[in-house]
Amino acid sequence: MQNPFMSTAFKPDLAFTGAAERFFELLKSFSLPGAGAAGAAPDWSALAGSLAGQFEQWLKSSQSAGPWFTAASAPGSGAGFGAAAASFGPLPLGAGAAPQQDAQRSWDLVARLAQLQGQLASYWSEIAHDAAQRFVTRMGAAAGAAPTLDGALKLYELWVNCAEESYAATVRKEEFCRLQAQLANASAALLDEQRRGSVRELRLVRAFGLPSRNEVDALYAQLKELRTQLADLTEARRAKPPQPDRATAGRGAGKRPASAPARDRRSRRARKPRA
Amino acid sequence: MRPFTADASFLAGAAGAFVPELTLRVADTLARLRQARDVTVGCSAKRAVWSFGKTTLYEYLPLREAARDAPQRSAARPLLICFALVNRPYVLDLQPDRSLVRRLLDAGLSVYLIDWGDPDDADRCLDLEDYVERHLGGCVRHILVSRGTSSLDLLGVCQGGVLSLCYTALHRREVANLVTLTTPVDFHTPDNLLSKWVRELDTELLRQSGNVPGEALNGLFLALMPFRLTQQKYVRLLAGNSDQRALEDFVRMERWIFDSPPQAAVALAEFVRWFYQENRLIRGTLRIGGKRVDLAAIVQPVLNLYALGDHIVPPAASAAMERCLGSRDYTGCGIDTGHIGMYASRKGADEIPSRIISWLRERP
Repeated sequence: MQNPFMSTAFKPDLAFTGAAERFFELLKSFSLPGAGAAGAAPDWSALAGSLAGQFEQWLKSSQSAGPWFTAASAPGSGAGFGAAAASFGPLPLGAGAAPQQDAQRSWDLVARLAQLQGQLASYWSEIAHDAAQRFVTRMGAAAGAAPTLDGALKLYELWVNCAEESYAATVRKEEFCRLQAQLANASAALLDEQRRGSVRELRLVRAFGLPSRNEVDALYAQLKELRTQLADLTEARRAKPPQPDRATAGRGAGKRPASAPARDRRSRRARKPRA
Repeated sequence: MRPFTADASFLAGAAGAFVPELTLRVADTLARLRQARDVTVGCSAKRAVWSFGKTTLYEYLPLREAARDAPQRSAARPLLICFALVNRPYVLDLQPDRSLVRRLLDAGLSVYLIDWGDPDDADRCLDLEDYVERHLGGCVRHILVSRGTSSLDLLGVCQGGVLSLCYTALHRREVANLVTLTTPVDFHTPDNLLSKWVRELDTELLRQSGNVPGEALNGLFLALMPFRLTQQKYVRLLAGNSDQRALEDFVRMERWIFDSPPQAAVALAEFVRWFYQENRLIRGTLRIGGKRVDLAAIVQPVLNLYALGDHIVPPAASAAMERCLGSRDYTGCGIDTGHIGMYASRKGADEIPSRIISWLRERP
């Protein structure tokens, strides 16, 4: 099944196909034996169970890794925001990619991520069951209505409303927000660990005489400082009231320093402040 | 690509009566979506007039109809649009009947727009001071010098509105009128889910991890309402009332939504920390380039338009601006639409430009 979360790239036809397939899956649940069948007492628990199961599976597959820095490199992680993480570039995981100490830290972080994802899964379960319960409660008259396409679309709208409400109620909880942040931080730490500690990267950098990341950052800091100084000087020059040209003012008064070389005098004239 | 197949065997008898119709609609919509895939975006002619790093300043060319008033136009104060760093600005000029830019040009305004471009690894240390003082500031200075004027009107959109507020507070004389669209000022309103999610992010790690790809931010925004934004909007295409033109509008928006530039690591880390985590703008503790950003220093007229159904910038986050500014000429207005609807919906396309144009005309 296509899932737009698997790729956040522009693929409207794929995204549409995925959503349509899920819509058919939902119709399948809506038409479970007993769910609205004429003459029989509806078995709401079966419907709720089926909906919750499908929904939970979708949530897990689509969001298991948290929104920012997915643990796509972690073994067994869900598809989640994998495409986004992949854009961070290849991560040099694997034997020999890092010294043993660094590798240990990386695997500790991977284990931490797996643990956090386990905690996240319990929230998905909570959301899925709550949404299914809300839906069953609100179905009311719609359950006995004649099965038409418009009716099915209305049921779908109701289902989405229930799903969003349950989702919103859970993801606003403080503990959920903290968990999301922990996941993102652990993923970022893993990424950083792998980049920083990569023997492969350092070897390549040295072999080609390239500056390291830290060296480039230091150069940027120097450049920024120079830019700031230049901006300050420009600002000061702009704010300063126009001065009489010292060379002209001094002419005839015998005040021009005799020691100033001619070239300097020319350049000073050329740099006369613009009025 | 594998073909779409509907397994309708589960819907027996009367319950399955609509399945053939539904299957046809799916196939038809899919075919039309594929046809519409290559729709063009952006409709008004513009030329690059200045650039710095990856940032390009564009000047829109006057519309033929508006060119009749050319002398009046050239005398008018220029309007600079400062869009968010996290999305592309062409959404403001998406198509002729949904273009804020076109409406502004049509009103005879002289319009400039900042495109921040795609920061790469060489730009990962760009910080907010760079963006505000050198990129936005560079654009402002270029316009003022090239037009021989002492001030311009500034229109900031979303995060670009935040940058515009900072710039206006720091350079009061250069901005005559300020217009903000869906611009947050108070980042800690209780309904701000995005703020809650990033409150405990380790921004030092974010800074070290390098630029954040646009797809990651997209994922974050979609996760705010995943069922509506990744499922329902596609299923609604099956409702049967979307003609090809409506479908093309839909695809244009899709193209824009999924076309997000990467974010310079340091600037993003600073934005998350200073604004989302520490709420410095409204607390008066924000400093850019060593200078305090004091919203009370903004004394020029301000028009603040925000969306009442905004899930990214809640209305309260934006409406809070009123009590922080020093301006005695503040106009705040909530529009009954969502965040993206402000720029791209039919309602937004009608109402927003009209409000901006009439407000600016009253403040020559």
